[in-house]
Amino acid sequence: MRGRAHLFRQPRITTDAILPSRHAGIEGERQLAGHVMEGVDPAFAARVQKGDILVAGDEFGAGAAREQAVWALRGARVGAVIARSFGRGFYRDALNNGFLVVECAAALDRVEDGDLLEIDLREGLVKNLTKGEAFKFAPFTPFAMEILEAGGLLPYVLRQTTGASSA
Amino acid sequence: MAARTLFEKIWDAHLVRPETDQTPAILYVDLHLIHEVTSPQAFAMLRERGLEVRRPDKTIATVDHSVPTVPPGPDGRIPIDDPDAAAQIAMLETNCRGFGVRLYGMDSDRRGIVHVVGPELGLTQPGMTIVCGDSHTSTHGAFGALAFGIGTTEVGHVLTTQCLLQSKPKTLAIRAEGRLHKGVVAKDLILAIIAKIGVGGGTGHVVEYAGAAFRSMSMEERMTICNMSIEAGARAGMVAPDDTTAQYLAGRPYAPEGAALEKEARRWRALATDDGARFDREVTIDAAALEPMITWGTNPGMAIGVRGAIPEDGPQPTTDKALSYMGLRPGQRLLGHPINVVFIGSCTNARISDLRQAAGLMKGRKVAEGVRVMVVPGSQAVKQQAESEGLDRVFRDAGADWRQPGCSMCIAMNGDQLRPGEYGVSTSNRNFEGRQGPGGRTFLASPLTAAAAAVTGKITDVREMLR
Repeated sequence: MRGRAHLFRQPRITTDAILPSRHAGIEGERQLAGHVMEGVDPAFAARVQKGDILVAGDEFGAGAAREQAVWALRGARVGAVIARSFGRGFYRDALNNGFLVVECAAALDRVEDGDLLEIDLREGLVKNLTKGEAFKFAPFTPFAMEILEAGGLLPYVLRQTTGASSA
Repeated sequence: MAARTLFEKIWDAHLVRPETDQTPAILYVDLHLIHEVTSPQAFAMLRERGLEVRRPDKTIATVDHSVPTVPPGPDGRIPIDDPDAAAQIAMLETNCRGFGVRLYGMDSDRRGIVHVVGPELGLTQPGMTIVCGDSHTSTHGAFGALAFGIGTTEVGHVLTTQCLLQSKPKTLAIRAEGRLHKGVVAKDLILAIIAKIGVGGGTGHVVEYAGAAFRSMSMEERMTICNMSIEAGARAGMVAPDDTTAQYLAGRPYAPEGAALEKEARRWRALATDDGARFDREVTIDAAALEPMITWGTNPGMAIGVRGAIPEDGPQPTTDKALSYMGLRPGQRLLGHPINVVFIGSCTNARISDLRQAAGLMKGRKVAEGVRVMVVPGSQAVKQQAESEGLDRVFRDAGADWRQPGCSMCIAMNGDQLRPGEYGVSTSNRNFEGRQGPGGRTFLASPLTAAAAAVTGKITDVREMLR
């Protein structure tokens, strides 16, 4: 998948910043998307384009258990988040929704706003097509890969259980 | 069998399938707590697929995150003006009715913050696995349970299967010997622990709090400690069950009684970490050396003793950014810093003992001029108990606002919030940018330190008022 980079340099962008609690009661991903990243950059929701990729620092999505943060990003048609590291809850929530999150230490320092990026899951590479560079990312466990391919946790589990009952 | 830790005993007892190189473990869940904000989409997932709640008898719901804390109207009901909040609360009622889940709803005299209600009802018991769509589920670990927060998809997964996929965490023992001095309480100890190990210091680990300082604590103090385990990045926090645990549970609605309680209590005590069991990591802290703590920045690890100075050599750019948001500077002392708001509440510090401490300090004193003080009990039961002891009168006479129970200004979903630029002393658990309202600046502290700030209008060393 390919998309334009949006850089968020500060470490530890919490789920409170990705989707502030006062909006967590809003129903619908497109509606949540109107407030995505509001705690960091209130203008981002208006600027983000379909397929864009967020590039962030350490512990992206730390803090509150708030899956609305993932839904807001997906609702804004964000294609993926690349971060140095993720908050555990956010990372699980993202995979459970089949939303692509990639742990890559090098990207933040070598990517600029607007660069065209490609995430190659097969090779385990983040490619900066604008600058002609590529960075390895921490490979997914086979299990995480299966969940991503199934489109999330529930589709994965249902696939497993139906598989088991027909076996 | 080899010596095992408290965590390992509970983990082993709940394995449906052990972890492999390829797949995480499948863990059985004993108790699933539900609230209105992280459950609607989970129930919708079930409905879309025609699935049932597998164990409605092990699933308990209440309303807390978005409920207003204003007094009931003339009809006896609390008005819910925010349409999103009203819709979520109504949706939880519909879901609980439709799926046969017990709900302590708006009209219940047992409703409250989910992490206050579970223990209070005796639902939370030693040796259990407990999950909830809320990161502060770690609170229940105070009972020697394995308790942690989950996401909404996982809420759906647990509703359907009563199980959860989990990789096995590592273990971290945090030992605190020595007794806390007068004026220094459980909140100060956990803030000091997070300041010591950092907000990522517990990542990947389940913490066991061991040592005399924790053993001598009440259950409510242990809950304050375990509650903030997640703020150190830990997956969960636990204290071994002992006589204090069994005594707390005696007489609670869902707890075993009489001979059954005695039998259970023996089983619970056997859960304690065996002599010779190994932890992956150990950290030691001297409880007797601590002062009252206060945070100066925008994560809970940015904390100092109340008489201390903000570090001049903090990691960059995090420190500068936090200080710029807070309107503070390196090297500055917080003692005497003026404040605008005091919030006494949240799943960290809104139990009866917290309110007694705050009221004890505020009794016969007045809230400082220009300061807004909100006291929000953790549950209806806490509220009733406080009112029967006259604590509400103490707070009101002092000029504080005595509210209805809920999460309130800890998460600021219900309109209770700081205004931009305001300084608030809060007994809650997160001082993130904007957490308590856009532009609001949070100083996390104990109920004693918060009460002291309420009457002086500034950050105060509460020990001077206790002499």
